[in-house]
Amino acid sequence: MSVHAAPVGPITATGTQQRNVDGQAIAITVFSTIKWWGRPFLPVLFLLTRRFPALTRILRELSFIHFARWSIVRRIPYNGPPQRKGRLRYPHMYFESNFNGGWEEYIDAFSHILTRGMTAFWGSSYGFPKPLPTAPFKKYIQDNETEADHYYSAYPEATSTIIQRALALDAKLAPLKRDAERMDPDAFAAAYRALLTDVQDCL
Amino acid sequence: MAMTPVKPGEEDALTDYLRGLRTRGPSPLAKLEHTHLGRFVIVKDFHNDPSWKQRREEHLDLPYLIFTSNFDGDLDSYLDELCEKLAPEAEEIWGRCVGCPEAAKGAALKAYLKHNQIDTGIFFAAYGHATVGTVKRCLRQRDGMIEFARTSQGLERAALQQAFLREFGGTG
Amino acid sequence: MASPAVRMDLGDIQGDILRAYGNDYDCTSYAFVRIECPPQQARAWFSGLIDHVTTAEPWPEQAKPLTTLNVAVTAAGLRALGVSEQVVGSFSDVFRSGMASRSKLLGDVGPSDPATWEKGLGSGDAHVLLTINAQQTSDHQRALGKMKDAMDAAGGLRIVYQEDAELLPGSREHFGYADGFAQPAIEGTSDDKARGGGVPLKKGAWRALAPGEFILGYPDEDTRVDPKRRLPNAPVDTLGRSGTYMVWRKLYQDVALWRRVMRDAAKHYEGGDEHKLSAKVVGRWTNGAPLVKYPDTAPERYGSKAAGANDFRYGSDRDGMCCPVGAHIRRSNPRDALGFEGHLSFRHRMIRRGMPYGKALPEGVLSDDGVDRGLVFVSFQASISRQFEGVQVQWCNAGNIFGLGHDKDFLLGDPRGRGKMTIQGSPPFFLSPQEVFVRTRGGEYLFVPGITALAALADGTAG
Repeated sequence: MSVHAAPVGPITATGTQQRNVDGQAIAITVFSTIKWWGRPFLPVLFLLTRRFPALTRILRELSFIHFARWSIVRRIPYNGPPQRKGRLRYPHMYFESNFNGGWEEYIDAFSHILTRGMTAFWGSSYGFPKPLPTAPFKKYIQDNETEADHYYSAYPEATSTIIQRALALDAKLAPLKRDAERMDPDAFAAAYRALLTDVQDCL
Repeated sequence: MAMTPVKPGEEDALTDYLRGLRTRGPSPLAKLEHTHLGRFVIVKDFHNDPSWKQRREEHLDLPYLIFTSNFDGDLDSYLDELCEKLAPEAEEIWGRCVGCPEAAKGAALKAYLKHNQIDTGIFFAAYGHATVGTVKRCLRQRDGMIEFARTSQGLERAALQQAFLREFGGTG
Repeated sequence: MASPAVRMDLGDIQGDILRAYGNDYDCTSYAFVRIECPPQQARAWFSGLIDHVTTAEPWPEQAKPLTTLNVAVTAAGLRALGVSEQVVGSFSDVFRSGMASRSKLLGDVGPSDPATWEKGLGSGDAHVLLTINAQQTSDHQRALGKMKDAMDAAGGLRIVYQEDAELLPGSREHFGYADGFAQPAIEGTSDDKARGGGVPLKKGAWRALAPGEFILGYPDEDTRVDPKRRLPNAPVDTLGRSGTYMVWRKLYQDVALWRRVMRDAAKHYEGGDEHKLSAKVVGRWTNGAPLVKYPDTAPERYGSKAAGANDFRYGSDRDGMCCPVGAHIRRSNPRDALGFEGHLSFRHRMIRRGMPYGKALPEGVLSDDGVDRGLVFVSFQASISRQFEGVQVQWCNAGNIFGLGHDKDFLLGDPRGRGKMTIQGSPPFFLSPQEVFVRTRGGEYLFVPGITALAALADGTAG
């Protein structure tokens, strides 16, 4: 089986600082302070989103996110002095995402297409403007974003979409790989042609 | 997600070390084969804006180092591997954090990281069931398939089959 | 959310932006002038110049001027005219950096690297761009002569680069394709072009775009959804209002190479049909008919100006079986192809006014004749980074948003000579090699001031 080096992709990771980039992957890291009503609201939102994956359907359709995570920091674990002991006044929400394409395009997509989702997740954060218009929303994200000090991808030149298509290709290719040896040339040619037609959007 | 306080006076050194990782060769996270994507972020403080209706400001007492990773398998196995393979780097990274054990490795480091873990509220994964190994294999296979599809156009049937078998082998 | 109708101050906006001058003006010269005298002296020349600038005011059909003149400036040009650093700082980052500094991002590498560009372009020497359009060669020559005389009289001014362009028969570009007629529909100016030129809505409907996407000082698409009706970022008044940013690029086209590659590739393509294969790359037949409407054969005639000619979308062709997913026009203007009611593409439109340059390579000739020919690409937009660079970087030089991996726009070529294009079908066809069909020979980012702004620059009151 021949080995093919991963092709170096075009520059698409635009609109963000250099350390947030590894090949095609962009890191975004955002902390926000949560209002009192977010305290009971957000866990319920998380629960509903976990129980009903249909709510993340649009996220999946957009296809340019590898992984994303939201966590609530209610208290910071104590490790002894000189760390200060005590509770946090407010809960804080930590958000991180790993995505492809430009930062500006990413935020625009969230503004326009995930408007309700944005409001649900960040509506209880102090200072959150509405997702639309986009300019104040982008400024809010920029003000609350921290550049990564080190960012790593195990497959930097692969986008999330490419990976999803590569996995789909694997499933579709398996039967032909398994049966090819036993087929006569005519049957193989027909099967290969059908397969190629079926997987053309994976290549 | 591990959130550990940085020792006073160590922030600059830790920052320089983390930012310098890229210049010294591949990321140390590459040693952990089960890592898809990972990051180290030093958060200096919470963002407070006077224009917000926040009644009182909130400030972090120290800068905090955040380490997050998207990995295969369970947390315990991942941490076991990290605490063994990343021992030299852990000294430079968590060794600069408050409460880190004297020898930043093994069981002691694992306990420290677990103690400082923040639970994830909700998580999204586009290809959650695929391991790093599977992803890499499928990416190589996709490149191979593109090259094959491109170069095999116009091949006669028998030649096509032979070429396919050479490229993709049997089931082995 | 409906916005109140916007009235544009046409007398304050330069011409050829909101509405094209038209194909009557088939000779164009682009002269890049360097100011080598003190700002005060340069402003005196500039003052005389701007009296003749053509505005966006419509003219009666029988009273079209024989020539038109328009003026644009680079960041270096603003400084040479004596604009303060503080005011220059109010212009966009990208404009101030200049196109040459963005080369890696734009894919201007290898044979398109700024180190290979025409002398005078991308070096900071271009200050003021004079664009002269003419209906006839005699008028064109006279206008050019007058321009040069005025410069000589003023002293301390030098043309560092000039490109003379001319329409090819049939409004074609050098690869043979009818081009340039699908432009954005602008609210208040070209609402009649909304069908096909605007934002694709549900049920086949369209709406025109907010004028602020193209002219500064006017509401843009963000303003439409802002309860406070804030206008987009612009350079400080008076300079910002009624102005726009301009992208100018000289793109050399290797016509012979294109013809050879397509001829060879067609040998393996169904029916060996080179015309069809080439049309698949572009997304239109040579006469301009869009593949998505005419997937199998070109219609005998295609009137690009006919009502509804531009009214097409890709929703019924998601798989790309009619028009390939990566075809040139589908990449550069996806319409509804990205889904989500056009929300991923509606803020990335550009007004394009380019012209082909250089003598055509006679039909059937497959070897290069050493003649410099190609396209002068010109676009107008409120944001160079969102509208021009966004399209170039994410849609032309990359394929991920379309699900095409790292495939680039095949027509534009690949500086490394690698790459492929999938022509969707049953079975699909894989087109390669993607050679260097197009080379960037130079370019500049410019600002096109409004008429009042031009006067402020000339008076030295711009700040």
